[in-house]
Amino acid sequence: MESVLSKYENQTTVLSEYLEEFPETDGSVWILGRQYHLKTGKSKLLLDISARLWFTYRKKFSPIGGTGPSSDTGWGCMLRCGQMMLAQALTCRHLGRDWLWERHKKQPEEYHKILRCFIDRKDCCYSIHQMAQMGVGEGKSIGEWFGPNTVAQVLKKLALFDEWNSLAVYVSMDNTVVIEDIKKMCWSPPQSSSAARGTMLSHRSALSQNKNTAGFCSGWKPLLLIIPLRLGINHINPIYIDAFKECFKMPQSLGALGGKPNNAYYFIGFLGNELIYLDPHTTQIFVDLEENGMVDDQSFHCQQAPHRMKIMNLDPSVALGFFCKEEKDFDNWCSLVQKEILKQQGLRMFELVQNHPAHWPPFIPPAKPEVTTSGAELIESTDKLLELEEEFEILSV
Amino acid sequence: MQTLHSSQSVRPFKLRKSFATRLEEVAGIRAKFPTKIPVIVERYQKEKYLPLLDKTKFLVPQELTMTQFITIIRSRMALTATQAFYLLVNNKSLASMSLTLAEVYRDYKDEDGFVYMTYASQEMFGCLLPTAQGKLMECLLKT
Repeated sequence: MESVLSKYENQTTVLSEYLEEFPETDGSVWILGRQYHLKTGKSKLLLDISARLWFTYRKKFSPIGGTGPSSDTGWGCMLRCGQMMLAQALTCRHLGRDWLWERHKKQPEEYHKILRCFIDRKDCCYSIHQMAQMGVGEGKSIGEWFGPNTVAQVLKKLALFDEWNSLAVYVSMDNTVVIEDIKKMCWSPPQSSSAARGTMLSHRSALSQNKNTAGFCSGWKPLLLIIPLRLGINHINPIYIDAFKECFKMPQSLGALGGKPNNAYYFIGFLGNELIYLDPHTTQIFVDLEENGMVDDQSFHCQQAPHRMKIMNLDPSVALGFFCKEEKDFDNWCSLVQKEILKQQGLRMFELVQNHPAHWPPFIPPAKPEVTTSGAELIESTDKLLELEEEFEILSV
Repeated sequence: MQTLHSSQSVRPFKLRKSFATRLEEVAGIRAKFPTKIPVIVERYQKEKYLPLLDKTKFLVPQELTMTQFITIIRSRMALTATQAFYLLVNNKSLASMSLTLAEVYRDYKDEDGFVYMTYASQEMFGCLLPTAQGKLMECLLKT
């Protein structure tokens, strides 16, 4: 670590100037599961932040879909935040959380391979092109704005085509994370494509086939866990703030997707009551692959002062991200959540349950609207009877 | 998608009916169905993606859990599992999914005797920026 830092002396001196605005307190900063003391750890903190892959608006890439936009300025901010969160997952997977980027230094091959996934070309698996086009299936035409859940759903689908990483992407529904479903998904053997048992597994058949071609043997698939939430209607309910901050302390943290109204940010940590984020709202020129498959990566790292905002200004629509490379990481995450998130009986930020709720529909999208009759109405999927009593809908078990 | 009623907006239940009327309504229905919880479910006024429910007032079995109740509402709207849907009590809290409606009622009921819930999806993020040519982005025109 020290040797890395010494090489960085010049750079960090420059960077530190940006950090002057960080208050001189005994406080500590949490960045993606790592704690830095402001008094002693500023330069390490800066190195950590500048090592994160930073994706911003770009212009002059090839038009999306052939005739679509060639820039994502104004609409791509949430897509870029999703890319950043996924890139952080891939970094943890291949390089480890401790890996640091060094400017102008030769990086491991995996680093370039990760970066290549996000270049703005239609043939790169998590490019702006792929994300915008996969959004069409989520009801978003190209150029339309995404929310945190939209981008999570898109990443989940795109990951099915990513043979290199063989990620299992779980996006929670109704604030509820189901351990059983995640374990099934991550342990699903390469050839369980016939497993249509009304669980999430059936949804994963395509993934399983991909694994096979990638030559991965059956084992725990690295898990990207995304929990989309709405922590209030207009404003974040202050009751969730401690739990929200707690998530950045977990070693599995990939931060959070969110923002303030209209501006999406990738939140990577916090300092007191301020969130630290990477901001995609800078339009840079498209950078293409070089002939040798390398990428000039200078514009993919944010070397400016980390942005901060008051946590109370957070838009309530967010998505938490976590990465569990091994099963033990997930088990550890579960116990952390039990300890830190579920302790609030009445108002939990999200739920963690062992078994797939019996009343839940299978992961496959349920059928079309129920038939309406004049008198009573039936809710088919849950077998709950709805009668008409005066103006009330009466639900019976 | 289910944007049939999306543009309509309905005045909130509390504004449509006086306190006295609401109080009376709850008293009547509680006498008749003592084991059911009177719940008002309304769409967030600025919600753009979720449809309007055709009913606002629900009488819900008190032992039903929040997660079961949400499944019923989701089903009524024919939402897919990938669509974001949040039901917030008193406009701000995600009641724990394992709570029964009786517990929610105990903790959150309004002084008029109803418990109020608001549903919403998630906000979308983007900026209304002019392009280099000075014309607004396509997404602006849609909203």
